[in-house]
Amino acid sequence: MTLPQEFKLSIRTADQTRRSELAVSPQQTGAEIIQSAVDHWVLPADADYTLVNVTQGRALTPHATLDQSGVRAGDELEVQPVLVAGARRCGASA
Amino acid sequence: MDHERYLRQQDVEGLGVERLQSMHVSVVGAGAVGNEIVKNLVLMGVGQIDVHDFDRVEIHNLTRSVFLREADVGASKAGALVARAAEVDPHVRLCAVEGDAWRTLRLAELARRDVLLCAVDNFEARMRMSQLCMLAGVDMVNAGIDSRHASVEVFRFSRPGPCACVECHLPDSAYRKVAERYSCGWLRRAMLAEDRIATTALTASVAGALAVQAALRIGGGEVPTSQRVLVDTRNGTGTAVALRPNPECPGCAALWPRPRRVPANGDWQAALAAHAGGAEAVILSDALIFDYACGECGTVAHAARHIGRRADEFDDRIMRCESCGQLAVRVDIRAEVGVDELRERFGGSPLPLKYLLAKVGEPDAVCIDLEDTP
Repeated sequence: MTLPQEFKLSIRTADQTRRSELAVSPQQTGAEIIQSAVDHWVLPADADYTLVNVTQGRALTPHATLDQSGVRAGDELEVQPVLVAGARRCGASA
Repeated sequence: MDHERYLRQQDVEGLGVERLQSMHVSVVGAGAVGNEIVKNLVLMGVGQIDVHDFDRVEIHNLTRSVFLREADVGASKAGALVARAAEVDPHVRLCAVEGDAWRTLRLAELARRDVLLCAVDNFEARMRMSQLCMLAGVDMVNAGIDSRHASVEVFRFSRPGPCACVECHLPDSAYRKVAERYSCGWLRRAMLAEDRIATTALTASVAGALAVQAALRIGGGEVPTSQRVLVDTRNGTGTAVALRPNPECPGCAALWPRPRRVPANGDWQAALAAHAGGAEAVILSDALIFDYACGECGTVAHAARHIGRRADEFDDRIMRCESCGQLAVRVDIRAEVGVDELRERFGGSPLPLKYLLAKVGEPDAVCIDLEDTP
């Protein structure tokens, strides 16, 4: 199924304190959606984020377009932090 | 064996005493999450647990690490954790392995583990553990925390067919963080500011429970594909999503089908000839220093101390010439090299590497395991 030139989806943060309806192009990538969310909600810019489609239960790869990732109109996406096990952002290896 | 000890869990589907006692797992990282993981594994009665960490106990670890005490400050994290965890269940065989897991964990040894649980504090170490597990064909469970969330990812490298790796869904910012640790060409920065992430024992505890639950369930077939669970420990919400392989992943796209792993048996040239005779180039497990010369002095006497060594043994201070004191040293570091040149430069010596990856056809590849020796 081909997506229209612009379609709407929902987007939220992992703590679910922020939610928005968003009009997007199917050619936008997951990384671009994340950057929009970081800018719009003023999320910490030094953190790392990934995008998941909670409606379909799968993660989006950063550089794939929404079309390539199979995102459909009305889907809900979640911006999640990418976590390591704690102590340092740039520390020693284990 | 005292089965009464495990009375309350032995009837839980998939967690039979014999099955857990037969398991041998590796835990990489003995920090807050690693402590929680080991705690759960020991309480469950998992037969053998190896704990890898290079780090020493610091006082601030004590607010999040169940097995560490003030008396342990300055001691090996892995050693202190294992010593205290062993008190919980004498039937569990625990082994502390002090050092960088990339160096201490051999592929052939890892291939015999049921699962590797990764609880390290940086992206680079995760990527490396993912690479090892992928080449060894061993499932990996990856746990992470911040002050609010706990996440656990499962990578089903033991299954046939393509499988997402740690890098398949990493954002570019993760690679920038890895790059920050290096100056040009794989030399670590001598001066690197550390930025600590706020965490608590609460998120570590949740991550440790989810990680061990996943690790013990993998063998029972309950986790058919790679997946990630993220839990918000404050509001109790969470998601579970499938992680599909990324066909453009820098970590694994070029490694499908998985390289066939063969032992070098102490002679990498013979192994290359026998298993990768047609290969023109190889990818090295670690970047190697091929040349070292000062732009002012030319070839310098101390070059011999660097050439043929791994780049990660040094930091960017080696770019200052010991003879003239100028920041003028050109260091030729490579992670991929032609087979002929490798033979010419290092033919008579063992390579200080873990493995060589060679394309022997399209798309077949072979992994020559340099640490697998008789």
